[in-house]
Amino acid sequence: MAIGEERYQSELITRVIEKGICVNCGACVGLCPYFAYFDGRVAVMDRCGAGTGRCLQVCPRAAYTQIMREEAKGLEGRDLSLGFYSQVLTARAKDKYLHEEAQYGGVVTALVCLGLEKGLFKGAVLTDRGGELSPGGALAVTPFAVKSCAGSRYSASGSLSILNKAIKDENDGIAVVGLPCQMEALERMQRSVPDGGDRASKVAIRIGLFCTWALDYRKLRDFLYKNGVKGIVRKYDIPPPPAEKFVVLTEEGQKEFPLGEIRVFVQKGCYLCRDMTAEWADISVGTMEGTAGWNTVLVRTERGKDFLDDAFKEGILEKGNLPDENLKHLIVASRNKRERGKKAESDMLRDSE
Amino acid sequence: MKEIFERSGGSELLLQGNEAIARGALESGVRFCAGYPGNPSSEIIETLAEAAKEIPVYAEWSINEKVALEAAAAASFAGLRAIVSMKQNGVNVVSDFLTNLSLSGTGGGLVLVTCDDPGGISSTNEEDARLFAKLADVPLLEPSTPQEALEMTKWAFELSEQIKNIVILRSVSRLSHTRANTLIGDLPDYGGGAFFDTKSPFHTFPVLTKHLERHKKLDSAMILSERSAFNRYDGPDWPELLVIASGSCWNYVTEAVELLDLSSKVGVLKLGMTWPLPCNLLRKHLARAGRILFAEELDAFVEESVKALTADLGSEVGIKNFYGRGSGHIPICGELSPGLILGVLGDLFSKVWKAEIFREKIRTFIPQPVPPREFGFCAGCPHRGSFYAIKAALAWDGRNGFVSGDIGCYSMGIWPTGFNQVKSVHAMGSGVGLASGYGKLGQFGFDQPVITVCGDSTFFHAAIPALINARFNDSDILLLILDNSATAMTGFQPHPGTGSNAMGHKVEPVDIESVCRSLGVYVEVGDPYDLNVTACAIYRLMGMAGPRVLILRRKCALVQGRQGGFPYTMMVAREKCLGEECGCGRYCTKIFRCPGLIWDAAEKKALIDEVICVGCGICSEACPRGAIVRMEKRKD
Repeated sequence: MAIGEERYQSELITRVIEKGICVNCGACVGLCPYFAYFDGRVAVMDRCGAGTGRCLQVCPRAAYTQIMREEAKGLEGRDLSLGFYSQVLTARAKDKYLHEEAQYGGVVTALVCLGLEKGLFKGAVLTDRGGELSPGGALAVTPFAVKSCAGSRYSASGSLSILNKAIKDENDGIAVVGLPCQMEALERMQRSVPDGGDRASKVAIRIGLFCTWALDYRKLRDFLYKNGVKGIVRKYDIPPPPAEKFVVLTEEGQKEFPLGEIRVFVQKGCYLCRDMTAEWADISVGTMEGTAGWNTVLVRTERGKDFLDDAFKEGILEKGNLPDENLKHLIVASRNKRERGKKAESDMLRDSE
Repeated sequence: MKEIFERSGGSELLLQGNEAIARGALESGVRFCAGYPGNPSSEIIETLAEAAKEIPVYAEWSINEKVALEAAAAASFAGLRAIVSMKQNGVNVVSDFLTNLSLSGTGGGLVLVTCDDPGGISSTNEEDARLFAKLADVPLLEPSTPQEALEMTKWAFELSEQIKNIVILRSVSRLSHTRANTLIGDLPDYGGGAFFDTKSPFHTFPVLTKHLERHKKLDSAMILSERSAFNRYDGPDWPELLVIASGSCWNYVTEAVELLDLSSKVGVLKLGMTWPLPCNLLRKHLARAGRILFAEELDAFVEESVKALTADLGSEVGIKNFYGRGSGHIPICGELSPGLILGVLGDLFSKVWKAEIFREKIRTFIPQPVPPREFGFCAGCPHRGSFYAIKAALAWDGRNGFVSGDIGCYSMGIWPTGFNQVKSVHAMGSGVGLASGYGKLGQFGFDQPVITVCGDSTFFHAAIPALINARFNDSDILLLILDNSATAMTGFQPHPGTGSNAMGHKVEPVDIESVCRSLGVYVEVGDPYDLNVTACAIYRLMGMAGPRVLILRRKCALVQGRQGGFPYTMMVAREKCLGEECGCGRYCTKIFRCPGLIWDAAEKKALIDEVICVGCGICSEACPRGAIVRMEKRKD
């Protein structure tokens, strides 16, 4: 479908919302009053009826246009399972506190704190911890606020709605930390009309997180509630295979659930995803399997490389090498996700015929 | 003193039908007046309550129609004349008491006035309440003009005392709200106190005896009706067509006969008492006409009775051609009109009735056509805020939830003004009863959230039993009481929560919150002007189980307007307004739809209509760009 045609809210509703494949990234929220993100889900508040619109263009699930990275052109023969990247390495924050509160090596938290302290950006769109209601986006402007958002949620947070709000409030110099779908949405935003380029220029850096899937928070909350987890959750973790566990850390202690019981809460739209390592980010960060307390880092752009180099220079991160074995494993996992996504999409198209 | 309360009669006043009924009651020496507001009946008690400030009568707005009739019946049992008024729906509410009261009989003259609403102009239905007269075996009077309304009210009291039973006087919107010169009579001297004679109790036992007595009373009424000047015939002795007309329709028939120049061919039998029918009078006129047309609203009430009578009379009157609802000449629903009767008579006499001429005549009275307007909440109405918050909470929830509505201004929640959130509306309190049912459907797989709404007056009227039912049966119900401190839709009559009564006396308000809490129901109070906070509260309450109440409290904007007004002057910052662009799409005028907001089509920007906007300020929260600015009004 060419740009200029069918850029409608109703198209987005038909293609994504009504099919139940919205991944609640929040990219369509905050542009207008017709969508809202609340308690883990994107909701259609009203029909705008407009013949043009940005919501459909930015949606990572609308499959509205194919997008491809410039750098990847001409590399079609190469294995691009991890997307285009210039460098792969491992890292961890030197601040040991971050290993406790953040996920694994605490690289993302350390990077964002550094960026704010050095004025590389003025604020960062992160995901808060949630509570009674689901996790949601937060615009952090101090390291303290960044640290209070540390750690993985494993749930959708609609945090791009906060980016949209921040842009509407005339902020610029914003770092965005998000899931692969959200990095794709940012890329789609950049390419959208009429003001995508201008809006994307407010984003100082994109930090992507590795992701296998995200959970529907409302279902997770009901499950945890029924299983006696009633306080605020401090941290979630899915230890590397073959653990097959979902670990929940609350003030009252730690609880573990078989991963199989949790997987049923995975958002339907996540099964369509082909991107495990956030290929549209400047820097992608994930777990390092087999070595506790370290992150795997993929550097994808010049902007990302400069930022990371600066972090090493400032001495807030320690650098390590990713063993070939781990890289191979990451590539296989990433390729598998692409294959699963492709199959799920063709299944869905077949079912809808 | 207002002229309408003048003690001595003889002057002509321009009275509304309802005022004429009130004056008729006063001239009859009525002492006790009660009712529940409802269009088109409300002015009757309003007038009598006003009179009560100067004349020794008592008037009250009762909690509902049934209690009104019960309270008035007490006065009757104690020998006083009493009147109750209500709209057609109210007669359903009183019906349980009515059908028993008509067995026990009455003491002092007791008149029930029902003002029906053909066309459902301001009602949920267009029910013909006359059928209750037949059901309860009581006389039914139908005036056609304000003068007749006054006279017939007086007759109704006399009749009630003659037969010792309640009498129903039936008006319709067109009579209740029309004005005409009306000759008033004297007010009586007020004497005599209230006394219940314990030797003459009022009850329905033995039932069969009382039932038989009731029919005998009806027979007496019929005999009185045969001689009454309220039933009268105009026209030739042997008309080509007999029109049997009652109520407002008689005016339409008279006008149509004159316009079509049919007075030598058409006779009009005007029935003032339509139950029981004056059989001898009818026998005479039925025998003299072969063709009979019925002009009545709304059901074929007289029509069917006359057809039955004609069958009973058999060869005495012969075979007739009947024109009415049975034959399809009169529509089975909706209000009648002069134009409609002109059409029917024109057809029956093959007279080409030039509809255009009549329409042209109407047009001369209306120089500028009135632009069509949809139903909508007033500027500043708290219901807009409530429904906006409900819409948000239900959309966030995303499980296809809906609102079980009730009776009041907020019934308009079925339309865009209430964001189409209300999916059912029936009778007073029924929204809450329905919700108590939905709240038990979980066991059958029902997982749609239901929010029920009722107003403060409706809460007192009939919602409380339903709420208790929900509590008793542990139903998952979320009731939003839209407390605007007024019976707004019918004209701001006081109710138990407002702090004053019909006669303007200060009374301790009944606190809705305490009532709910005393039932053991979880209660919160919110402000419907606080859109997002209210939406979050509703969402949170939706997640809870059992019966819950959220009272959304803000005065009706019209009341607030009279009591100090609103704090803001509103303005649209033109440079910020996105208009039709992506990001807004005329959100304020298309979705929010407060009538104080208008669309400047030339500039493609929103505007404040300074005449309509009251300055409540809530639209500034709804505007996606913060372009609607509120400024504190200067206190000069």
